[in-house]
Amino acid sequence: MPEVQTDDPIQRKSLSTAILVSSFLLVLSLVWAMEDEFFGLRPWRGYQLRFTAAYSKYLKQQIPKQENALKAIESSPRYQELLAARDAAQKAAASRLAEIDAETRAVNQQQADISDAFTTARGKVQALTYQVELARKGSSSRASREKDVEEARAEKYTVEAHLPGGKIGKEELDFAALSDKFVSLKAKKAELTLQRVAVSKEASDLSAQLEEYKKEQLAGLGPEQLRSLLRASADLPIEIRQINVNPSNVGLNNFGSGGLVDRCQSCHLGMDKAVVPVTMTVTKADLGVSKSHDAPFTSHPQPELLKAHDLERFGCSPCHGGNGRAVSSVEKAHGRYEHWLWPLYHSENFEAGCQQCHSSDAWTQYAPVLNRGKALYRSRGCIGCHKFEGFDDQPEQLQASRQMIKQLEQQKKENELEVPRLNKQADNAADNDTAHALYAKATNLTVTISKIDARVEQLDRRAESLSREAKKVGPDLKEIRMKLHKEWVPYWLGHTHEFRPATKMPQFRLKQDEVEAIAAFVWQSALPGPALPAQPAGNAAHGKELLQTRGCLACHSLGEGANSVGGDFAANLSRVGEKDRYEYLVRWVHNPRERTRPYCPFEKRDLGPEDYARHGLPFVFDLDHSRCPNDGHELEVQQPTVMPNLRLSIEDARDVASFIVTLKRSNASYAPAPFMDDGNLLEKGKALVRNYGCAGCHEIAGFEDEGRIGAELTTEGSKPIDRFDFGRLTEVAKRGIIVQADGSPTKKEEESWYDQRGFFLHKLVNPAVFDYNRSEATLKMPKPNVTADDITALTTFLLGSVDPQFPPEYKYLPADQRRDIQEGWWIVTKYNCMGCHQIQVGQPSILQTLPMYQAENKANLPPALTTEGARVDPKWLEGFLKNPAQSATDTNRNGVRSYLQVRMPTFSFSEGEIQKLVRFFAALSSQQSPYMTPKLEPLTAAERDLARGLFTSKAAPCLKCHATGNPAHDKIASAPNFLLARERLKAAWTERWITDPAKIIPGTSMPSGLFRREGDRWVFSGPLPASFHGYTKDHADLLVRYMFQLTPEEQRALLGRSPGSNGAGGAN
Amino acid sequence: MKVRFFASAACLAGMALFLVSCGKKEETAENAPASAAQPAATPIDMATVGSVTGGVKFDGVAPKPKKINMASEPACAAAHPGGVVDPEVVVDAKNNLANVIVYVKEGLGDRAFDTPKQAAELDQQGCMYVPHIVAVMTGQSITVKNADQTTHNIHPSPKNNREWNKSQAAGAPDITDVFAREEVAIPVKCNVHPWMKSYIAVFKHPYFAVSGADGSFTIKDLPPGTYTLEAWHEKYGTSDQTVTIGAKEAKTVTFTFKPAA
Repeated sequence: MPEVQTDDPIQRKSLSTAILVSSFLLVLSLVWAMEDEFFGLRPWRGYQLRFTAAYSKYLKQQIPKQENALKAIESSPRYQELLAARDAAQKAAASRLAEIDAETRAVNQQQADISDAFTTARGKVQALTYQVELARKGSSSRASREKDVEEARAEKYTVEAHLPGGKIGKEELDFAALSDKFVSLKAKKAELTLQRVAVSKEASDLSAQLEEYKKEQLAGLGPEQLRSLLRASADLPIEIRQINVNPSNVGLNNFGSGGLVDRCQSCHLGMDKAVVPVTMTVTKADLGVSKSHDAPFTSHPQPELLKAHDLERFGCSPCHGGNGRAVSSVEKAHGRYEHWLWPLYHSENFEAGCQQCHSSDAWTQYAPVLNRGKALYRSRGCIGCHKFEGFDDQPEQLQASRQMIKQLEQQKKENELEVPRLNKQADNAADNDTAHALYAKATNLTVTISKIDARVEQLDRRAESLSREAKKVGPDLKEIRMKLHKEWVPYWLGHTHEFRPATKMPQFRLKQDEVEAIAAFVWQSALPGPALPAQPAGNAAHGKELLQTRGCLACHSLGEGANSVGGDFAANLSRVGEKDRYEYLVRWVHNPRERTRPYCPFEKRDLGPEDYARHGLPFVFDLDHSRCPNDGHELEVQQPTVMPNLRLSIEDARDVASFIVTLKRSNASYAPAPFMDDGNLLEKGKALVRNYGCAGCHEIAGFEDEGRIGAELTTEGSKPIDRFDFGRLTEVAKRGIIVQADGSPTKKEEESWYDQRGFFLHKLVNPAVFDYNRSEATLKMPKPNVTADDITALTTFLLGSVDPQFPPEYKYLPADQRRDIQEGWWIVTKYNCMGCHQIQVGQPSILQTLPMYQAENKANLPPALTTEGARVDPKWLEGFLKNPAQSATDTNRNGVRSYLQVRMPTFSFSEGEIQKLVRFFAALSSQQSPYMTPKLEPLTAAERDLARGLFTSKAAPCLKCHATGNPAHDKIASAPNFLLARERLKAAWTERWITDPAKIIPGTSMPSGLFRREGDRWVFSGPLPASFHGYTKDHADLLVRYMFQLTPEEQRALLGRSPGSNGAGGAN
Repeated sequence: MKVRFFASAACLAGMALFLVSCGKKEETAENAPASAAQPAATPIDMATVGSVTGGVKFDGVAPKPKKINMASEPACAAAHPGGVVDPEVVVDAKNNLANVIVYVKEGLGDRAFDTPKQAAELDQQGCMYVPHIVAVMTGQSITVKNADQTTHNIHPSPKNNREWNKSQAAGAPDITDVFAREEVAIPVKCNVHPWMKSYIAVFKHPYFAVSGADGSFTIKDLPPGTYTLEAWHEKYGTSDQTVTIGAKEAKTVTFTFKPAA
């Protein structure tokens, strides 16, 4: 078969179409790549372009505004005055300046005239001198060269000199003459320069003042600055803007191995101080953008934070989270993808970032949400089950120190047995050397025993301190037989949040039989007595008044729901009458720390009168009698409540209790609960109490040493997500399905909540959701009583509670006074000092917000402590905190402000707490410690007379308001007794106080303007007694010195003279 | 006899070791003294014993007695109307030196002796120790009495024994203690009354005596043998002599102390 010649394959199979298509594709993909390169992968380019436009527009708007403002300032009288003065000064100096300038010009001319000749001559002489130095000493060549130098020095130069008349003359000058002239001209010139500065000084000072005035008066940047910003923003280079931090110790952390690289400012241009100066703020409204999501251009909303956290050191992502290096998309940059462990915190949780470094703070400035979270963690009793480093760990410390005591005592016992053995061995030793060694060993052991005694004694003291500090969130359940109506207990367990909607106690998920078993166990294990003494009924109306005026409402609230008035630190009292017994309430109000029996941690039981009787002791136990009669160790003698002792008389306590028992619903009734006495429920109840960790918040008989049952949450925020127990909801969470209260999924889907935040949110709303479809035992965690805001706060706190991911130096662990502040906040928040006192400027106390302390009633508020450290002597404060009554016998009163209805209670702080509080206040006012009492200049007799006159003058009736010790007067007084000043106050503060008290405590009753400034001293503003003529010293200082040397006798004498008092003596 | 003793001692020691290795500390300690317990006294043939008597002389001019100022304790001062001198060096008119302890230093071999049941006494009278020198055997009780209307403390500072320091108020019960190891001599002080000083000498054997006011002393019931006698004085130190005593022999020895050059 002949081969059929087909077409040339090359021609026939043309690839041109394919190539064409390919090249099209290639071009397309190139275009695509280019587009992606410039816009897709570089979204920041678009942001930068948009920012430039918005920012320029803003600046353009601002410029005329600022120009107008500037014009207004320039037309202000003060500016005009300065301007006129400046012009006048310039004018005055002008003629002299012109002279100086003329002289300067002449000198310059003369210098120029000789300049050439002088440099030539000098060059010649120097060159020849060099030749001389090269020649050997004493040689003939040297002599001839020396001669050359002589000739050069003598050589004359003809100089054309400009003469004063404008003519040009000729001078013949040798080297020496030229040199002299040159030096003198130079000196002349320097002198003229100095003269010029001196003459124009006034004018230039005034010019500086003018500029300063403009700057001071103009809010924001000046038009010139704005213009330069505008120019800069027009030429803003489109580029990556990054912060690079290379800390000393990088390690493996979210700084990355090469240090921190944050490119956030590539989009968030408003944060770049090179673009928007730190002194300027730019808000969304300024830029005309509604959502920051679309245009993240604002400057930092909290510039104060940036001052404390320099961007060059902290960058952005350490605080906010996110992947600072990523610039390819918003999701990547914000770390919201599965491969980044530290995603950007959600906006409501952003304060979690603070917690990462500020975990040792109880209170962090600028972080209200976080602070609330921490407060809730304590007050809602989370800490009862979940250990958290830094939070109240006294129970653990107490146990450790008691364990240590036991070990040491065992050691001591062994040593005591060993000593006689060693001595006996020594007695019988074969030789003296062996005997010496053995005797020495025995002696050393004896000394060791004594050292053990010393340690045990210290540990006992520490235990005493710790047991003062250790508090439980909930009440002591050993007392409930004294305290509660039996029938109410099971109702409470089943209807916790219904009975008291704002209670701290969470609602446990208990079946009826569990409720009964727990109630029965708690009831039966409680102390049987000794029974409380019967109390006569009190005056409920008076009790109500006391409750409202003694400061109870700083922590407690009265009234249900929207009618509730008072603080939320402690219980709402509106239904207490339904549960509590009168006798117990009387004791509680009288002294809430009082126990029925002391608990001995060594014998592990509550001691009774019989234990004391055995040692012939009365059954008395309190902070002064806190040692066990059996073993001499520290007992628990107080109820573990933070509620302080208000030092009410027993009658007042009865009145208050009588009022409280009336607080109940009219229809309140509880079903009988016979099971409460069923002994068969004990075992089951005990097991349940252990299972649910009730002892975390309550003291319960038999559970005194029970640990916390929950997981430690110190680093919960950095726990890997797969270790969170999502139960059967893992997939549901990943898909973002919304779940119902019982955990069953709905049909609605949202963003995935399979992350720490999602877990915390769901767990806090209702822990039961994670029980959904679970076959095994249900989760123990009860439903916390928290609002949506509370949940946000707690979530923020937990999210920020991470394993330290920074170089250690970033942790906020100050070693200076800030540490005292840090430590102090733990105590201040623990005892709710802010319930009554304002401690920080701008942070009102609870009482300040209550209706009964508004307007003129502000005067009834407890003192603000914003400058307490500067005000009082720390030694005094220490004593005051120990005993606020300032008296061992007369305790039913305030030690300083006897006229205040609100009572500073006795907290029975531990030594350590008092020290920390004293240092806290000192540090808040930047006071050095220890405080050295300054020596005040003693008063001369004449000065004493002057001060007396001033003190009692009609213009300064000090004793009208200040307490004097006269009970009738002190009732209406509104300020402390002057006799307290010497021990209590610091002189420097007192002087600042009397000259302008409103500056220190705005709204104080003490008036300002008592003194006016005259030159460099304070002078009394009122009409001065005649004797003051010729007195040239400071009047405020005189008064302070007088106050600090005041004696009771002197005060009595003064009272006789005071115009406001009932005394008859005339005031000068 | 000796062999049996050593055998039993070794046996006990072995048991003790065994118990130590068992970790039963307490029992060990109880056994330990037993293993090294005082051996039974070596019998002495009372028919052959001799004695040493003698005197102690002081060769030189006796130092002037130092007066003690008891003004700080008026009750005691009153007890000594004629004043009181420091008993450190007591020499009589015939140059006899008192308060010298004479004892057998060597020559008794490994003999063991019974501890006397009778306690030695140290009284405190008018803020002075009476007697000034006490000599006892190891393990012999010393009873300290306080006849004064003041509080004393008895503070022996031994070299080889256990130091103690006990307070004894006026009218307080007697204090009884023992010294377990031989030591010549343990100074005893009262820190309240710094002039009060006494010495307690402790011997493993009963052959010791303290020279009396006339410088004389007697050591009785010595088995025949050659002995090194030593005389000890608190200020002038010691002096040795060798004597050989035959059966029923009574030897006379004189010690002489000279003041240090």
